[in-house]
Amino acid sequence: MTHLKKSHLLIGVGLVWITLSRIFQGNQTLELATSENTSFTSSVGDAAASIRGNRTKSAAFIYFFNPIRAAITGFVEIIRSIISVPSGNSIIPVIGWFGVVAIVAFTVYATSRLRTAILAVSLLLACGALGMWQFTMDTLAMTLASVLLSLLVGIPVGIWAGRSDRVLKILTPFLDLAQILPTLVYLAPLALFFLIGTASATIATMVYSIPIAIRITAHAIRNLNQSPIEAALSMGSTPTQTLTKVQLPMAKQMIILGINQTVMAALSFVVIAALIGAPGLGKPVVDALIIRNVGQGFVAGFAVVFVAILLDRSTSAAAKAQESFIPLTSQQIRRGRIKVGLSGLLAIASIFASRSVLSLAVWPGSINISQQVEDVTNHATKWITTNLYIFTVGFKDFISNWVLNPLETLLAFSPWFVTLSAIVFIAAVIGGMRVAMLATGLLTLIVLSGLWHEAMITLTQTIVATLLTMAIGITLGIWVGRSSSAEKVLRPFLDAGQTLPAFVYLIPMLGLFGPTRFTAIATGIVYSIPVVVKIVSEGIRSVPIAMIEAATVAGSTVRQIITKVQLPAAKRSILLATNQGMIFVLAVVVIGGFVGSGGLGYLVILGGSKPEMQGKGLVAGFAILLLGVTIDRIAQASARRT
Amino acid sequence: MVEEQRSASASSASAGRPPAVSVRGLWKVYGPNPLSIVGSPDATLSRSELRAKTGCTAAVSDVSFDVAPGEVFVVMGLSGSGKSTLIRCLTRLVEPTAGEVFLDGEDISKATPQRLRELRRQHFSMVFQHFGLLPHRKVIDNIAYPLEINGMKKAERHARANEVIELVGLHGYSHAFPEQLSGGMQQRVGLARALAVDPQVLFLDEPFSALDPLIRRDMQQEVIRLHRELGKTMVFITHDLSEAVKVGDRIAIMRDGAVVQIGTPEELVALPIDDYVANFVRDIAKSHVLTLKYLARPAQSDEDMDGPELAANMIIRDAAEIILQTHKPVRVSENGKFLGIVSSEDVLRLISGVA
Ligand SMILES: Nc1ncnc2c1ncn2[C@@H]1O[C@H](COP(=O)(O)OP(=O)(O)OP(=O)(O)O)[C@@H](O)[C@H]1O
Ligand SMILES: [Mg+2]
Repeated sequence: MTHLKKSHLLIGVGLVWITLSRIFQGNQTLELATSENTSFTSSVGDAAASIRGNRTKSAAFIYFFNPIRAAITGFVEIIRSIISVPSGNSIIPVIGWFGVVAIVAFTVYATSRLRTAILAVSLLLACGALGMWQFTMDTLAMTLASVLLSLLVGIPVGIWAGRSDRVLKILTPFLDLAQILPTLVYLAPLALFFLIGTASATIATMVYSIPIAIRITAHAIRNLNQSPIEAALSMGSTPTQTLTKVQLPMAKQMIILGINQTVMAALSFVVIAALIGAPGLGKPVVDALIIRNVGQGFVAGFAVVFVAILLDRSTSAAAKAQESFIPLTSQQIRRGRIKVGLSGLLAIASIFASRSVLSLAVWPGSINISQQVEDVTNHATKWITTNLYIFTVGFKDFISNWVLNPLETLLAFSPWFVTLSAIVFIAAVIGGMRVAMLATGLLTLIVLSGLWHEAMITLTQTIVATLLTMAIGITLGIWVGRSSSAEKVLRPFLDAGQTLPAFVYLIPMLGLFGPTRFTAIATGIVYSIPVVVKIVSEGIRSVPIAMIEAATVAGSTVRQIITKVQLPAAKRSILLATNQGMIFVLAVVVIGGFVGSGGLGYLVILGGSKPEMQGKGLVAGFAILLLGVTIDRIAQASARRT
Repeated sequence: MVEEQRSASASSASAGRPPAVSVRGLWKVYGPNPLSIVGSPDATLSRSELRAKTGCTAAVSDVSFDVAPGEVFVVMGLSGSGKSTLIRCLTRLVEPTAGEVFLDGEDISKATPQRLRELRRQHFSMVFQHFGLLPHRKVIDNIAYPLEINGMKKAERHARANEVIELVGLHGYSHAFPEQLSGGMQQRVGLARALAVDPQVLFLDEPFSALDPLIRRDMQQEVIRLHRELGKTMVFITHDLSEAVKVGDRIAIMRDGAVVQIGTPEELVALPIDDYVANFVRDIAKSHVLTLKYLARPAQSDEDMDGPELAANMIIRDAAEIILQTHKPVRVSENGKFLGIVSSEDVLRLISGVA
């Protein structure tokens, strides 16, 4: 009954909206030329400029920001000088490429097994062969530095939040916000205070990955089997003894899994942080995107993918090695020790060799297949775009003409108050009064920021990408949820998809669709499908077997079981997946500012490169945040109400 | 009418000592503003009514009892009746909402965290229904854990752990990990760990319900032996009536957080206070717990009065053979005083469940 009413209401709101939009089209859209500043954005720009001007004078900089910047830069440079940049008056880093390969091989071998070590070494060598050795080392150094610092903060705080409800309660809003915040938004404000460079990039990466470390560590501590802990307390353990002798050993595997997630988050951020001067693989990716050279992008992109696989495999293999508490027999342990000892000696010997033999110290320039890779990928892209034109451009045009344009007209080219009211009405119907009020507040702030029109352009792209993502994601999710062989086939792709930095997806999409809005949308779709499929398939799978059996016995067809039993029962998961999907899509759509998607993302990127646009860029970043929170609150509330 | 024979013997042996465990007016209320429920008229409502009215659950409501040193005190009740909450309040794993708990005369609800740890380390230990073993430690290090946190040296604590390993029959498994052991063996590790510190009081929360019948019987024998040989005081929770009768000196029956009746198995069978208790003890073979005193009745005029004489505190099952073989009613007397007679028909009627 109420359900029927709800959908009627929504249709009603839609019809009124469309009608009003037709009548008033083009009026009061708050459109602003790209290079135009409002008084608000220019005053933000002035404020930013004065902050920058005070860098050597104000106490906050002299006693707070600058020392932090110096300390972090120092720390990162130490790591870089070991593996990546020549130190002092030498012409090579402390350890040459051969030594680095040996260290990686040894570390992976000692923490997991030979096969993973071989994989790791091959991936590293492949990065070298792509001509990306130095960039790869910089990325590794940046990732390593950020991860170490992130874990230094994240694990203790996570343990604390795992043990104290109060601490968790205080942290939760920040952790939630961090999950919504699109990566692009972090960069400019941090660069304002810590300058462009390694320090800003490292701190931005930390801000991004610390919440992940905290969340997983706290989760690991909280979700332990409580009965051993209760038993330990009943025997008179002190809180410290309970932590060190019971909780931490039991949570070890989960915490290592948390390290894996932190590493992957840090890597994807380090790549994007090239925008604020992070050394590493992000730089060639950005360069290639800017000059629209897909082949060159692929070379750097492959290296990013290889590093991602390398880090993911080796850290998750280390977590897997912790799975069982049953140790090896003493003979196995002895044999293991001998092997590790021998390979350790070999690694040390390799390090020394890499310091004394030039060809082992500096990656030999003769081993470089980047040109070939570039040519092959450029050819392939060209072939696809000419021969499969109907599919790529056809699909693009179809979506653009039939979905994107009408929706953009509705959202961005209606008077702002019409769109705003419509969104608030929709929020009220699907999320309730409180969310509607919150949405009113947040959207009004966007209007006041002066970037309403751009925000609606971004929202349009986000909605279209989310619709397509959900259409594909739910279908795949049902398939994976119902068939374990489908799960087996798709699982590796889903896992890999989640670990790759969003940035690298832009490269092939740019090749397929050129620099258009649609490129950003397609990238958003590809990037967020894995998480949607995961959540939906878990929802489908958690429908009790008994329910399905009962429906089967009652004579339902497969279709009836899916539509009448599994989907309704998994409705909450689907709504949650929609929420996650939208947040992921938004994060990517704004990065798409690079490849012609316009909207708020483009303003943020522009603000980073043009001083006179800096204020507008900062405001655009803030508007993205407001948009993200609005989307998230509405989606969460509607999931809660089912 | 019927005296507390077994508990009487236990408490007489320790006359003058304070009870090992003494509970006075204990409450545990979950929900908003729990203290307001304690002692209020609301407390007399049924669980669901209380919940509907105040949003609170009285998991334990106004429980009082004493456990004598060396006694095995069994707590029974349906699922959700508050047994686990009660035993956790006794060790303060759960903070009681109101009431007092004395261990050897000391009010542990007032103990500081340090004192509480001291008591937990030396005075009592607990065996858990779900074992609560540390998955990352070998059997021997699980058992040595309470000694380790007490600061005992490794060699010493391993020596002690090996002693208890022998005691519970886990010889040869000291270097296994919990997940390599069967449920029964894991529970033995739990028991061994509780015994390692040689506590005076043991709290056991459904310790054997995860075990198969054969191992369970062994473990029950083990508990009885510990009780007899080492004189441990125990508070023992179980779902299983025959287990309660086998190991318990006295049984407390709980319903909706409150104790309905406390007594020896014999008392509960002979004089159940209400239908709930009667239902609970219905499945006990009466002849296994009742004594001749329960059957003794005045002789009718046509009955022989020259049958053999038997003691009143003899369990009917044990007396049955004699009574059924003599063709006359037996005479029952207590301390030389004649109480009445028991005929073979009386015994048969009881055994067949008519009486
Ligand atoms: N932490 C808690 N919060 C709220 N209610 C609780 C909590 N712990 C227990 N309860 C409630 O207290 C009541 C008694 O629970 P308890 O676990 O003591 O029962 P029990 O007699 O041990 O049951 P079982 O035989 O199933 O183990 C139950 O109604 C339970 O729902
Ligand atoms: Mg229980």
